[in-house]
Amino acid sequence: MVYFILKRLLQSVFVMLAVALLAFSLFRFVGDPVSQMTGVETSVEDRERLREELGLNDPFIAQFARFTGDMLQGDFGFSYRTRQPVAEMIADRIPATLELGTVALIISLIVGIPAGVYTALRPRGFITQTILMTTLVGVSIPTFVIGIMLIFLFGVQLGWLPTFGRGGTVEIGGWTSSLFTIDGWRALILPALTLGVYQLTLTMRLVRAEMMEVLRSDYIRFATARGIPYRRLHFRHALANTMIPVITIIGLQFGGVIAFSIVTESVFQWPGMGLLFLESIRFVDIPVMGVYLVVIAFFFVLVNLLVDMLYIAIDPRLRVKEAA
Amino acid sequence: MRSRNLMWSAALAAVMATAGSAAMAETFRWAATTDPQTMDPHAVNAAPVLSFLNNVYEGLVRRGRDMSIEPSLATSWTPLEGENGWRFTLREGVTFHDGATFTAEDVLFSYQRASDEASDVRSWFAPVTDVRVVDEFTIDFVTNAPNPLFPDGIANFMILDSGWAEANDAALPARDAENYATRNTNGTGPFTVASRDPGVETRLVPHDGWWDTDRGNVTEAVLTPIGNAATGLAALLSGEIDFIEPVPLQDVAQVEGRDGFKVIEGEETRVIMFGFGHEHDTLLYSSDVTDANPFTDPRVRLAAAHAINIDAIDRVVMRGKIDAASQLVPAGISGYSEANADRPAYDPDRARELLAEAGYPDGFSFGLKCTNDRYINDEALCRAAASMFAAVGMNAELTTVPVRNYWEQLRADDFDMYLLGWSPGTFDAEHPIRFLLHSQDDEKKLGSWNFGNYSNARVDELLPQIQQELVPATRQSLIDEIVAITQEEVAYIPLYVQPLIWAMQDNIDVTQRADNFFMLRWVSVN
Repeated sequence: MVYFILKRLLQSVFVMLAVALLAFSLFRFVGDPVSQMTGVETSVEDRERLREELGLNDPFIAQFARFTGDMLQGDFGFSYRTRQPVAEMIADRIPATLELGTVALIISLIVGIPAGVYTALRPRGFITQTILMTTLVGVSIPTFVIGIMLIFLFGVQLGWLPTFGRGGTVEIGGWTSSLFTIDGWRALILPALTLGVYQLTLTMRLVRAEMMEVLRSDYIRFATARGIPYRRLHFRHALANTMIPVITIIGLQFGGVIAFSIVTESVFQWPGMGLLFLESIRFVDIPVMGVYLVVIAFFFVLVNLLVDMLYIAIDPRLRVKEAA
Repeated sequence: MRSRNLMWSAALAAVMATAGSAAMAETFRWAATTDPQTMDPHAVNAAPVLSFLNNVYEGLVRRGRDMSIEPSLATSWTPLEGENGWRFTLREGVTFHDGATFTAEDVLFSYQRASDEASDVRSWFAPVTDVRVVDEFTIDFVTNAPNPLFPDGIANFMILDSGWAEANDAALPARDAENYATRNTNGTGPFTVASRDPGVETRLVPHDGWWDTDRGNVTEAVLTPIGNAATGLAALLSGEIDFIEPVPLQDVAQVEGRDGFKVIEGEETRVIMFGFGHEHDTLLYSSDVTDANPFTDPRVRLAAAHAINIDAIDRVVMRGKIDAASQLVPAGISGYSEANADRPAYDPDRARELLAEAGYPDGFSFGLKCTNDRYINDEALCRAAASMFAAVGMNAELTTVPVRNYWEQLRADDFDMYLLGWSPGTFDAEHPIRFLLHSQDDEKKLGSWNFGNYSNARVDELLPQIQQELVPATRQSLIDEIVAITQEEVAYIPLYVQPLIWAMQDNIDVTQRADNFFMLRWVSVN
């Protein structure tokens, strides 16, 4: 097991290097950082000097080598836009994104799994059809439109919830959390819902499909024949077997939720990593963009690893294989 | 039942109104699309930074509500006798936020800091050859030639406390890594930065020891950057934000239509224009003319100008909020040429005639390059213009790019015709002449935004005369001559002056200044 984890972590370094290389080769197309760092009155000469100082005239490979070299030594560099240390900027924004992503995930599970079970058990019912239709609509509308609609309904028309930001935050050992105040939760609901809608639909449809599959299988028929109570049959036997593929997909999706919270964060001015990345693109802030993408790659690797471990924990057959 | 409901809602409204006003009197919240990148007044010469820091730091002179130059940390200034330059008499009894006294030493220090290679505002001091402290409250700025506009040019030159900067290791602006002045401030201005979370929230509170009294009643101000226009609008309408700018044109009616909000419209000093590749030998994006550049012929450029229907653009693209421009500065700016206030009329027949005269009776195709995120509705403007050009036979192939890629492409001469917006930093007609009309000259630092390299020997000759001329009438006649030349040669096609649209809660009073700077001291919460 330890060997397995170490192997995966080592692989993650290569994944991150590959992502960094890919990102760096794209940065040339993002724009010219120097134009964004200087005012209109700055002379051509001063601009060139800045370009030279930043090493932007160096060949691509040299720039990439410097970036990765510094990074391996724990030096994440300084932002072109704010001149702050990049490590600090990203670390400051991680809690907001993780809390948003986690709450979105929890919402999608709490609603998605029961809804999936219900729609599988009563596949032709009116409520089932209604649920399926609404979630289809929810998944077809782009995230930013959902976000704006929620803001205008609950923020502007009804005035129940704040329209932007994190609300009241509490700092606990360097982790800025919005989970410990009412205001924080009020601010969290809409963005988490927006981010979670897609995930929710996916979870529900997956649970429904798997559950219907399992319900048709022989052991369920046999158990039904044996007279096992339906409640026990559905939740103890059927659902448990449904969950294995569901957990895999949901787990893999979580990496995506963190990475693609960019749109939601922008719509709600949610001060997470995604918003920072968006601002950095606008200012061609290459150091921040580079580190952000590497961090996201690391998250993906980490989540995949956790999913694999969870898989082993849930499915006894894999444990046997591992032991053998 | 019905009356009880009414009673309840009336009571609720009363409670909310009192709660609202009590909270408002304390705090003013405003949103801007861009967070100031730094708190260092010399590190970045960008509007979001200078606009914000003008609330915290002050210069020797400042701009009033009507953009006129008025005394600030200097009480008066006179030309030096016997040499070129200006003597500034400084205000006595001014203290920095940390209590230190303001003296001529701070001005000298700030000059050295701002004119250093690490500073992004050093171009303001290009004409300065020497700065001398005469006594504690008198300082001389010596320039290489007579420079009547020097005081206007340094209105955003902000003064730091020398002791504070040196004690905190911030004697120079941060170049790569941040320094103390990147996030901390110590100015003489009406507000001090109480807390700052970059990109999230910045809080200001009044500086009690401020020397002036022209200040509204804001006791705490919170700046929240909101990049997404729809989110900003929602925040305003929900009452969480008291003021936003800019408001997208298409949302103005929605804000105006609601009770409790108001919109202030004005004109920015920014003129939107089309430029040409004057120096290109051939068109880059043409499918039919590949061996010549028709835009080198002034008749073709004039034809392009006649093809533009500015009223239609105003109506369709800009929702009736613009004024047409005839030259590179809007009316009201010093040096505006009243004598040349007419622009080429919309006349497609004349345009076709001119094209035929120039040898293109069937027109030609070319590339039009535009931004899609820099100016108000810039992409829509270019689409409209492209169809207007096409109507006279000039088939524009439109390419729109984000501003972060745009300047690089223009500097690489990758265009046939391009869009540009220009706001004169000194609020004088000399500014666009220096940057947009003078031939490109990197050594003299002239024509640095003249991407198409429009070049006219007479314009180049007149610029230094305008810079040094002390008699206003003579100066104006020199500027008039340049405007006449560039209009005749159609160096650019000035289109219109960009509107400035601010929206706020009804109980907020602000002063909108044409440079789009937001001055907290002119904000009152009623």
